This record gives sequence, C-alpha cells and structure tokens, in this order.
Amino acid sequence: MEKGKTFKYALAGGAAGVANGLFGGGGGMILVPLLTRWCVVEQRTAFASSVAIILPMCVLSSSIYFFRGRLDFLAAMPYLFGGLLGGLVGGRVFQKLDVNRLRRWFALLILYGGVKSLFF
Amino acid sequence: MRAWLPALLAGALTGILSGFGLGGGTLLLIYMTAFAALPQTLAQGINLLYFIPAAAAALPFHAKNRCLDKSVILPAAAAGLAAAGLAAWIATSLDVHLLRKLFGSFLLCIGLSELFRRPQPVSEERRRVR
Repeated sequence: MEKGKTFKYALAGGAAGVANGLFGGGGGMILVPLLTRWCVVEQRTAFASSVAIILPMCVLSSSIYFFRGRLDFLAAMPYLFGGLLGGLVGGRVFQKLDVNRLRRWFALLILYGGVKSLFF
Repeated sequence: MRAWLPALLAGALTGILSGFGLGGGTLLLIYMTAFAALPQTLAQGINLLYFIPAAAAALPFHAKNRCLDKSVILPAAAAGLAAAGLAAWIATSLDVHLLRKLFGSFLLCIGLSELFRRPQPVSEERRRVR
C-alpha cells in the first residue's frame, strides 16, 4: 500500500465528513465519485466501502446533533424503520443494478432540491 | 402525526439506495426539506440517524460479496470522522437560514456534476453477473 493512495483516501473521506456533519448527509455523493475517478477504486468496491466509511460518521455527527439539542427521535422513527427495510433489500439486489442510468435521475432530483432550498 | 406512512415509504425507497452508497441519504434529505417541508436541522438530524440502520443492514451483504476494501475504509473513515465532528459542531451553531442556503448550493453543485459527467465503464465482474 503506497502512502500517496492512503493520503488520497483520507482526503476523500475528509471531504465526505464535512458534508456529513454540515448537511447531515450527502457524504456518499462526494465520496463515491472521488474514490472511483480520483483514487481509481473499482466502482462496486467504492460504493460498498463508502457505506462502511460513512456509517461511523453518522454515529458521531448524530451524537453531536443530539447533545446540541437538534435530534428528534420521535420524528425520525418512521424514516428509521423504512431505512432498515430498504437497507436489507438494497444489500440483496446490489449486484443487479444499472448504476449509471439511476444516477442521471438522481441528478435531476438533486437539482430540484437545490433550487427549492435556495430560492423558495 | 399523520405523516408517518409517507415517511416510512420514503425511508424504505431511499434506504434501498443508501445500502449501495448511492446517495439515498441525499435523496431522503431532499424529500424531507423540499417535499415534506421539515425544518433544515430537524431533517439533517433525522437523516443522520436514518443512515445508521440502513447502512448496518446492508454492510453484511457487502462483506459477503467481498466489496469492502479495508485499505480504503480505514484512512477515509479516520479523516472523515474528524471532519464530520467539526462540521456537525459548526452546523448546530449556524443560523438555520444560512445553513439551508449552503445546503441548496451544495445540492446544485453535486446535481450538476452528476448530470454532466461521463458514465463510468461497467466493471468486468458486474458484466458477468448480468
């Protein structure tokens, strides 16, 4: 393992951490492209590993949100159960997915969210 | 609270994608802020919590499929933790309106870069699976 690569992975992880803490998400949207294009990690490995990288960040960030009084567990409940179900399905069908087509649709939704947050 | 059913569905749909590291958390954030009109920091806190079970549920499958690379995960997670801790502290101190504008700008940036980038070649292994 060369030093340069480890440093690049750390930078990519750091960038994802900023999004994770600041916006409560979106780390994967930064991390996966950085890993696949800049660090040349194989695509499927990058997607899966990003999940393992972001999980501890979510634990830390959500604890900080909690101690600063910004967490509402009751409001989060339905999302949590949904997320658990979805995660189970997602792990199973992971191999059969056309990632590239999916990402185009995402991009449009993300842009919509951006415009709405900025201007409305 | 009548909104639990759409919340559950939104969580499940985006959870499928979160399990891939495909930006399901980002989509859920957009659902909560742009469609369900939740306050920004509430949505962010929910999103952080939400990713934990979704990720934990998907990880064993990824491990079984040998898609996890420790040499990538360890340095990225270490640096990411430091950055996330600092950023979470900043986020919970910032003015909510400013935070929302920052979030909107962030979405525009990643949305545009997703839209205009060339599709990546499908790896050999995936091709065989199909």
